[in-house]
Amino acid sequence: MRPLDWWVLAASLVFIISYGLYRSRDTGSVNKYLLAGKTMPWYAMALSIMATQASAITFISTSGQAYVDGMRFVQFYFGLPLAMIIISATAVPLFHRSNVYTAYEYLEQRFDAKTRVLVGIIFLIQRGIAVGVALYAPALVLTVMLGWPDQYTTVIMGTLVAAYTTFGGIKAVTWTDFQQMLVMFFGLFLALGMAIYLLPSDVGLGGALQLAGAAGRLNAVVTSFDWNDRYNLFNGLLGGMFLALSYFGCDQSQVQRYLTGRSIAQSRLSLLFNAVAKIPMQFFILAIGAIVFVFYTFEKPPLVFHQVELSNISRESEYPALAARYDNAFDGRRQAARQYLNAPGEETLAAYRQAQKNFEGVRKDGVALIEKKSGAGFNDTNYIFLSFVMKYLPAGLVGLILAAIFAAAMSTISAEINSLATVTVIDIYQRHIRKGATDSHYLLASRLATVFWGIYAIVTAGFGRSLGSLIEAVNMLGSLFYGGLLGVFVLAFGFRRVGGTAAFIGVLAGEAAIFYARFFTEISFLWYNVIGCVVVVAVGLALSLPRLHARA
Amino acid sequence: MTPEPPDIDPPPILGTWGRLYLAVALFLALLIVLFAVFTEVFTP
Repeated sequence: MRPLDWWVLAASLVFIISYGLYRSRDTGSVNKYLLAGKTMPWYAMALSIMATQASAITFISTSGQAYVDGMRFVQFYFGLPLAMIIISATAVPLFHRSNVYTAYEYLEQRFDAKTRVLVGIIFLIQRGIAVGVALYAPALVLTVMLGWPDQYTTVIMGTLVAAYTTFGGIKAVTWTDFQQMLVMFFGLFLALGMAIYLLPSDVGLGGALQLAGAAGRLNAVVTSFDWNDRYNLFNGLLGGMFLALSYFGCDQSQVQRYLTGRSIAQSRLSLLFNAVAKIPMQFFILAIGAIVFVFYTFEKPPLVFHQVELSNISRESEYPALAARYDNAFDGRRQAARQYLNAPGEETLAAYRQAQKNFEGVRKDGVALIEKKSGAGFNDTNYIFLSFVMKYLPAGLVGLILAAIFAAAMSTISAEINSLATVTVIDIYQRHIRKGATDSHYLLASRLATVFWGIYAIVTAGFGRSLGSLIEAVNMLGSLFYGGLLGVFVLAFGFRRVGGTAAFIGVLAGEAAIFYARFFTEISFLWYNVIGCVVVVAVGLALSLPRLHARA
Repeated sequence: MTPEPPDIDPPPILGTWGRLYLAVALFLALLIVLFAVFTEVFTP
């Protein structure tokens, strides 16, 4: 990091946080602190929803995902617009008219208190795990950049975010999200522009697309169906729709964004903006990874992108031979790529693909050496984009890209801490522990709960260290719980005669089914939401049959 | 199509929420087709 990068990074963060706090001066009641007094315009909510979902993981891990696996990850988002339409038409008016602080408060109006508490606790467990991972991702940035232990960086980042979230409440969260998303857009354009600019002049964008396509990195749509394959068109449309329905319709960290809207129409517009903008944005981030892949075809990448691990294995006796094989494999691939570009045809294509396979084989041997030495799994997907930024981008731009990554991280963590605090106070504390206290008491409780969840995020951030690709880990963890949440809301919205006990038992059965699928089958995690939701609805309806018959 | 309840303002474009939802769904279909063409063109 050069001095200019530090200045750009610091100035961006100071501006974003100051602006957020300036816009959130008036938070003197629980309603204003947790729902912004229901005054938010659609564009602020729209970018806040987008920023909350686009965590640092999106930047760091998604581009790396395209580097190692191609662009097919974009299909994961195909179900999102459909989910947004369904939520806009059904959940948004119901939540608004119910005048609730949390989605789970609505469940008590519809079912009973025990169902509300059960679902609230499921949310606290699920989001509590995720907030630690979300905080770990930017810590990873500073670990690579400065060589600081990630424990220090999680404390610094976590404290900063918890501080402005505690002071400014949801207004601070939303307005910082708004600024953070703008910084992210700017950072994305710059990163893609620089990746293209840094390609060899005789390759250019056209050649890059040709090579990336030949290496299977531009596989944006996969039409073959496989239950166990995470990313194909059908899994993306159906599994992705269920996941998005669960996340945007039942997860308080998202529901709370659009509960702040000044009207139903404003909240709907904020969701539909995301329906239109999310897929192009993900495509854009994946394209960066694909172009970086081609860049590293001509510029030798490190054997693995984690510098500390690389330096550890470089002292092993097997390393010199491995490094020599790696140099040969890189030269062979570069030569094959040039031959394919100069004379595209079956023969040169086959040679390029074989060279790519050889190169990946040596890289796998490097990973295996690290795993043998450490005795644990290793995955360097999360370091690929960062290594590129740090080594090849000019002074100033590195700071800006890092500011974008930090912005992404802070927007997600702040929304998660804010929503965790809201559920803790509204669904648990106010409902079951201290009823009928004053507004100022609950406001203080909300601030203290925010501090608690900030500390919790810092303490649990180390959990991310043991996970592989963070973007997959977060989605997989979410999928363990979202099916149950979605199922109970489907019962609430769609089946008027299902009672509280049936819904309660349905949720427990749905969660049991998901955990069975996770630990005893090979089914892709995208289907957990479908399985969980179907089981909740089926059990809820089955248990309600006597009641339905009695009424008939 | 059932009329919207009185507490829901119409969207700023296309007149009704139903039409706006349809436009979003069509946009998704268009994106999938474009991505499929993109995959087909660049995967030899």
